[in-house]
Amino acid sequence: MEGHLTGAFPRSEALVEASRAAARGRVSPDELEAAYARDVEALVNLQTQAKVEFVVDGQLNWKDLFRPFSELLTGIRLGGLTRWFDNNTFYRKPIIVDKVRYAGASLDTYFRCSLPHNGARWKAVLPGPYTFAVMSQNTAYSSFGDLIDALAHSLKDVISELKKAGFEYFQFNEPSICFSEPSKNELQLIKQAYEVLVKGIGAKTALHTYFGDAGKVIDSIIDFSTDCIGIDFYATSIASLVEHDFTKEIGCGCIDARNSLLETPDVLRKLIRKVEDDVAPKAVYVTPNCDLEFLPQSIAVKKLHILAEAKETVA
Amino acid sequence: MRDHTNKLFPVQEIGSLPKPPWLISYLRGRAVEKPELEHLAKWSKISGFEAEKDIRAVLSQPKTAETEKRIRNFASLFAIRFLESAGLDYVYDGEANRIEMYEHPIRHSEGFEFYGHVRSFDDRYYRKAACVRKVGFRDAYHLDEFTYAKQAAKRKIKVPVTGPYTLAEWSFNEFYQRRLADDYHDLSKLKSEAKRELVLDIATQIIRPNLQALVDAGAEWIQIDEPAVTTKPGEIPFFVEAFNESTAGLSCKFSVHICYSDYRVLYPDILELKKCSQLALEFANRDDDTAAAYAQLQLLNEFEDEREVGLGVADVHVDDVEEPSLICGRIKYAVKTLGDPKRIYVNPDCGLRTRSWDIAYSKLSNIAEGAEMARREIS
Repeated sequence: MEGHLTGAFPRSEALVEASRAAARGRVSPDELEAAYARDVEALVNLQTQAKVEFVVDGQLNWKDLFRPFSELLTGIRLGGLTRWFDNNTFYRKPIIVDKVRYAGASLDTYFRCSLPHNGARWKAVLPGPYTFAVMSQNTAYSSFGDLIDALAHSLKDVISELKKAGFEYFQFNEPSICFSEPSKNELQLIKQAYEVLVKGIGAKTALHTYFGDAGKVIDSIIDFSTDCIGIDFYATSIASLVEHDFTKEIGCGCIDARNSLLETPDVLRKLIRKVEDDVAPKAVYVTPNCDLEFLPQSIAVKKLHILAEAKETVA
Repeated sequence: MRDHTNKLFPVQEIGSLPKPPWLISYLRGRAVEKPELEHLAKWSKISGFEAEKDIRAVLSQPKTAETEKRIRNFASLFAIRFLESAGLDYVYDGEANRIEMYEHPIRHSEGFEFYGHVRSFDDRYYRKAACVRKVGFRDAYHLDEFTYAKQAAKRKIKVPVTGPYTLAEWSFNEFYQRRLADDYHDLSKLKSEAKRELVLDIATQIIRPNLQALVDAGAEWIQIDEPAVTTKPGEIPFFVEAFNESTAGLSCKFSVHICYSDYRVLYPDILELKKCSQLALEFANRDDDTAAAYAQLQLLNEFEDEREVGLGVADVHVDDVEEPSLICGRIKYAVKTLGDPKRIYVNPDCGLRTRSWDIAYSKLSNIAEGAEMARREIS
């Protein structure tokens, strides 16, 4: 059974200190970059030891899910601090002030796939176009449809570059899709956006939902053009998925990234088996329900070991 | 309960002030530098602080348990005089003796362990604790500071206390989720019920004994701080139940401070808060336009909620200082919306710990002046 992480990983205590010091001008940008690089390398080593099929770089220098794109894409400036869904964490709301476009900026700073990784393949994690649109303030596009379409095309250009750089799997994080209860019209727009994103990319793709009940939207998203759908089973009941013909892979979000309680192998095995038996998807892979960055790093490392153990146990 | 001062628009603080730089240096064992002593001298003069010489004497001594206690008390007194001289009617000590509003109560209670930092935003982090055992009372963690503030203050006292829902929401929940694991197959239901048990145990085992200790020591007004209450709207009934369990039967005025939220999600549940006399709410941050910023005051009318309002009239996240005329206008808008001016207290949106002492003082002084302008116009 496959298994991998879903995005941002918590910073080490050393990187916490370095970033704090840098914010006060006590550490140089080069020293901070070296601290980031050490954390990325350590995370890659942890993942390869855990024998995950796809490695992520942990987004360790991303200040939030959208922040790199205020630099990488045109037409976006930073707004105020805003609560990140139902968490005690905050992001800066992107303000769409002009047409959004990827104009070829270097992606190396925010997507790192150059480290040795013992043959594991690289997964890039990006914001999904719907969540990006909903969580932004739009002052440039006359309709929501135009905004989500522009974001989809821009993200498509970004992942096309990332594919050339070596990424083989693209995961789009879409917490809003099960948190905001999109209308039927919006769901149609989201579907079209994913057709733009996925068409001709020639890589594996996933739409990862979290922070909400995917059962409420599964009717619609099951037909989207990604290969996989990630589901947060701390917010979604298995029963709400059983009536559907699941021809995709399910990312089984069964390791809770928002609680430090360590999952037992027995509980995970039962849950994964139940998803396999009751939902009968094309395949199941094991993931945390969302980014492990909500945990202190010491706990996140333990949860990565639990993920590895679950992969082996269920297989 | 109406205001003891018998005047309209009493001015209150909400909680925290920045920590004085000389306090931080001394507690960290560093030499207190000249600029820090200048800070002490400047604000002693402005606020009429009477113990500058005593503080300097302590600062010149090596740190011991005795000097640490003395310097912390002086920091409390320093904050009290600062707030009094800015013109506030209700004061406290700027939370000078607390680490901050979450870590302080958690470190003084049973059942929690800290594992490390989690990020709040950008390069800001906080230490998040996990509840690993049944929670319990260890000590009355605000009693000493209250006792000191009560004898030192020349104005009325209001004590801010972090509420049970916020303490639970900002912690990991291991013990209660593990305890209930066999009872629930649905993980979302398991998390929800485990959360409810944690919130209620914090209320009954930690907060209530702390409130009881403060009331027994003479506290007349306690503000329950619940900034996390709207994080998960489905859990607002947990907050209501916990508040009522914490305060039942205690003879004291209670209020709730909530901020940076859509207040609509609080209703109708918060009508069931039995001993809450006042909602102290953030508004000024929302919009430069008064009608837009204070639109949610209408919720009180809509739900026939007749409690007092602590009206946030100054944004604590920007250095721009609101003019008294602007504050006066905001108060008059609230009077126009709510009708009864006696229901309105005025305050900053939230604690001022992220502002400089200069900005904090200017904001508070202008709030007091704006309230006086409104008083003259409406009396």
